[in-house]
This record gives sequence, C-alpha cells and structure tokens, in this order.
Amino acid sequence: MERREFFKTVGAVAAVSAVLPTVSFAKSGNPNKMDYKTAISAVTNGKQPKMSDKVKLKVPEIAENGAVVPVTVIVDSPMTPQNYVKSIHIFSTKNSNARCLDTNLSPANGKAMVATRIKLNGTQEVIAVVELSNGEFLMNKKSIKVTIGGCG
Amino acid sequence: MEARKSLIKIKPKRYKNGDIVKVSFMIMHPMYTGASKDKKTKKIIPAKYINSLKFIYNGKEITNMKVWESVSTNPVFTIYMKINGKGKLTVKYTDNTGESGERSKKIKPKG
Repeated sequence: MERREFFKTVGAVAAVSAVLPTVSFAKSGNPNKMDYKTAISAVTNGKQPKMSDKVKLKVPEIAENGAVVPVTVIVDSPMTPQNYVKSIHIFSTKNSNARCLDTNLSPANGKAMVATRIKLNGTQEVIAVVELSNGEFLMNKKSIKVTIGGCG
Repeated sequence: MEARKSLIKIKPKRYKNGDIVKVSFMIMHPMYTGASKDKKTKKIIPAKYINSLKFIYNGKEITNMKVWESVSTNPVFTIYMKINGKGKLTVKYTDNTGESGERSKKIKPKG
C-alpha cells in the first residue's frame, strides 16, 4: 500500500511540473492570441458562415514578402439603407492572433470594399467573413504561399 | 510628441455630388506585434499598434475599423465613400498605448 501511495504522489508531482512550464510560457506570449475558429465564431455568434462567390477576395497567389501582403475584399451587394453590408472581417489561419481587421460599414459608403496590407507568418489561408444587414453571414477563403514570413 | 505623418488620398481627383470615390488613409506607424526582437539589443520590442480607426464625414461616422497587430507596418486602409455635398472628411486613429491623432481633408465636389 505504501509503495502504491508513493508512486501516486511522485506521478502527480511529475505531471504538475510537466504542465507548469507550458502555462507560464502561454502567459508570457501574445495577449491577443486567438485561434481562427474561435475568432470567427466570436464574430458570428456561433453561426456557420456560408461560402459564397459574392465575396471576392483579391490576394496574390505567391507572396514573396510576408510582411506586406495586399488583401482586398469586395462584396457584390447593394448599399441601400434597407439592404447593405454591415461588416467585413479579415482572418488568417496561422498567425498567432487570427484577427487582422474588423470593419463596420454603413450605407454612406456606396460600395462594400475594404483593402489593406497584412503580415503573414508563413504559407496559410486568408478568410473573409461578411455580415449582411439581414443577419446573414457569408465567407470566402484563399490560400497564399509565403516565401519569407513576416513576423519577428 | 510630434504628430505622425499621415495622408488621405481620394481617387479620382475630380468628382461630383453623388459620385462614389475611393478613399485611402495612409499613416507612418511601426505596428510592432510584441513578438519581434531588436537586432542590436536582443530585447523584445513591446507591442505598439493602431487598434481603432474612424472615418467621419461631415460629423457622421461612415466607417469604423478595429485593427489588430497583423496589419503591416505603415498601413494603408482603403474604402469607398459616396460624395454628398461640401464638407470635411476626418480620420481619427487610436493606438494600444493611448496615442491618438487625426487627419482631415476638405471635400469639394465640382459640378
């Protein structure tokens, strides 16, 4: 019996010491760290966005420099006060913080488009999630080959 | 502190009332992620990035953006805007360290 107890406690200590370093490492890392799946479900309130050709994602197929990757999202939708694009979100699948840019548009924009340049940490996919004024979510994604990563 | 260099560009340059024009806002900002190291001192550079952006046209907010550190150094943000009379377009930005500023451009539709 005693021997059994001894091994139990030793095993517990070993398990704790194995877990502890990873916990402290996670704390010292990026405070905005977020997985792309949780980031998307936080935006859509758990709904699954529909893949759609209405969302046009313009990205280069091969990006030589991961620090500057131009991304353009155009949504094929009218911009009237009754029916417009509420927001456009850009996510990356492999960056430590998946969120890149959240844009809230209004009918005063006239055309649903947002363009910027983002950093990509290696070859991965870029996802655009669009929220329409009727509560529908659309998405589109494209993969980008990155020759030199843009982080660090 | 000296204000950051920033610029608002409108394309095309000549526009009329009711036209939909492209508006680009550019700013000189390092956009540090908080993960990169200084090559000389080998110390981690603390995070410094723009986290909020507002486009205000004649007192009405037309677009606001939540920006994360994945956006490139010296970022450019482009949107479309419908010209609706004379006035002023202002872009306000805020940084995660509390730094903020703004840039304005007069809107003068012709014809």
